[in-house]
Amino acid sequence: MKSKNSKVKENNGSRTSRVGDKDGMFRVKNLTKRFGSNVVLDKISLTIEKGKTTVVIGPSGCGKTVLIKHLIVLLRPSAGEIYFKNQRIDELSENELNRIRIHYGFLFQGGALFDSLSVAENILFPIRQHYEITDWRDIEELVKVKLAMVGLDGFQNYYPANLSGGQQKRVALARAIALDPEAILYDEPTTGLDPIRADIINELILKLQRELGVTTIVVTHDMTSAYKIADRIIMLHNGKIIADGDAEHIRNHPHPSVQQFINGQVSEDDLAILRMSGTISKAQFLPRDFEH
Amino acid sequence: MVKNNANMVDVVKIPNVIYIYLIRYILEPDIMIDVVGTKTIAGVSNSGRFARFVWQTITASTWSCARSRTYPLIWTQMLIIGVRSVPVIMITGAFVGMILAVQAYDQLRAMGLEERLGVLINISVVKELGPVLAALMLAGRVGGALTAELGTMNVTEQIDAVRSIGTNPLRYLVAPRVLACLLLTPFLIIYADLMGIVGGYIVSVLLKGINSQAYWSFSASGVELWDVAVGVIKGLFFGGAIAVISCYKGFTCREGAHGVGQACTEAFVASFISILALDYALAVIFKAIYFTFWPIRSLVG
Repeated sequence: MKSKNSKVKENNGSRTSRVGDKDGMFRVKNLTKRFGSNVVLDKISLTIEKGKTTVVIGPSGCGKTVLIKHLIVLLRPSAGEIYFKNQRIDELSENELNRIRIHYGFLFQGGALFDSLSVAENILFPIRQHYEITDWRDIEELVKVKLAMVGLDGFQNYYPANLSGGQQKRVALARAIALDPEAILYDEPTTGLDPIRADIINELILKLQRELGVTTIVVTHDMTSAYKIADRIIMLHNGKIIADGDAEHIRNHPHPSVQQFINGQVSEDDLAILRMSGTISKAQFLPRDFEH
Repeated sequence: MVKNNANMVDVVKIPNVIYIYLIRYILEPDIMIDVVGTKTIAGVSNSGRFARFVWQTITASTWSCARSRTYPLIWTQMLIIGVRSVPVIMITGAFVGMILAVQAYDQLRAMGLEERLGVLINISVVKELGPVLAALMLAGRVGGALTAELGTMNVTEQIDAVRSIGTNPLRYLVAPRVLACLLLTPFLIIYADLMGIVGGYIVSVLLKGINSQAYWSFSASGVELWDVAVGVIKGLFFGGAIAVISCYKGFTCREGAHGVGQACTEAFVASFISILALDYALAVIFKAIYFTFWPIRSLVG
């Protein structure tokens, strides 16, 4: 397990956390996101520290992915401000944002590899978009190095459809680091993978953070992964931050929703709904006459 | 309660549903105002989004034309959209000419005008039916494929991935497709026209026994270069409309297989109507241009 951030803070949602810290790679100030009448993020404020691994946890639909997509301005906030290295980015045009986004790497939940391109072409894609390639031998070497970093050297000519889910995520990770980003954002990197492949991804996240010194933000609901990689864990619930601190702090957090989430327990309210929804009786099966 | 009743009746017979909703709207006019208002706002907002998309596509396409780095992307799309559509467009054109010949022959023969069949077939093919039917065929073949491809990329976050890499998806994905469609549709229309003329000739001369010399001489006297040019220029507009509508539907499609399927259907229907509406508008405009400039042409000639 990684060294823990000694600074432990609690956030009850509307309270700001470390917003004044100017050394943060990302700063989010009173971020609100609404989809119609549904408020997904409610006045969230936080600062992501440079060179650290921050993990955002929370139940499905709590707004984790929406939050991480705001950090790269794939979504625009309904209200609030987003800063990258003290530059406000949520008001920039798409063309201006494109100059900022080359400092990021983003790993999508499903990998989002371009299925019409080979593995090598996928990794080359960001490089071709931003640099004039003069020496193809150097580029081939670069692709080889990036693939070796995720343990997939030799897969250059494969297509995404020929790779397993774990391999696709590793290729997507190689593409995310193609431009040597300062920050890597991971959206559910271990979802849909078996425990061994999920641990490979965890080790890769740690390795990249160690070797490249990047700022890492991971959105996950996999607590094994969160405990393993996090310097700091933030928990979202109903669009607000309800817990913020290192792994030890989260383990001992008094908030019932935090304990329920980290222990994977169903709440009494949910159990009551299940009980009220009826019992399995013969009436729910087809009559015998219908069987043949 | 009313809603539940409506759902229940929905399964049994449709007229009752209409009746229930009518009663509901009469008794509660605020619901009707709400529905009409919501649909109007959605329509205006969709039109605005589409207009913005068209403008951004025009700027992205202009940018792509000026960058030689994007040319390989355009060549690839030209191969997929243009070259691979040639067989189906030629078949469409040939059948248009053949059907016209079969249908018109008896009418003209009854009046003793069968030798003028060539002019009827060829002017219909090059001016209207060739361009319109070729464009409709393209809307089905190319438009559907564009929407399905971009729609799938949208729901699998590949378009977001392009944005996250710092690339404008309109420049990378839309501009090459629009330019390929815009530039190659006129050429495909020429193929359709040629095959329409050949198809008409085969049925008229070889099957119906019309004198070949008379067939061509009447055709030459009735079909002008202007008529051919009008048909080909229409192709530019049809190609642009098909590509922009299909790409827009792909970019805005909803998640899931149903979303992609629905986007394809909407793209085809919208392209179909646009082609017919554009054809009408262009026919009026070109007619006005023709009659304005015809006297000048005779003076020069």
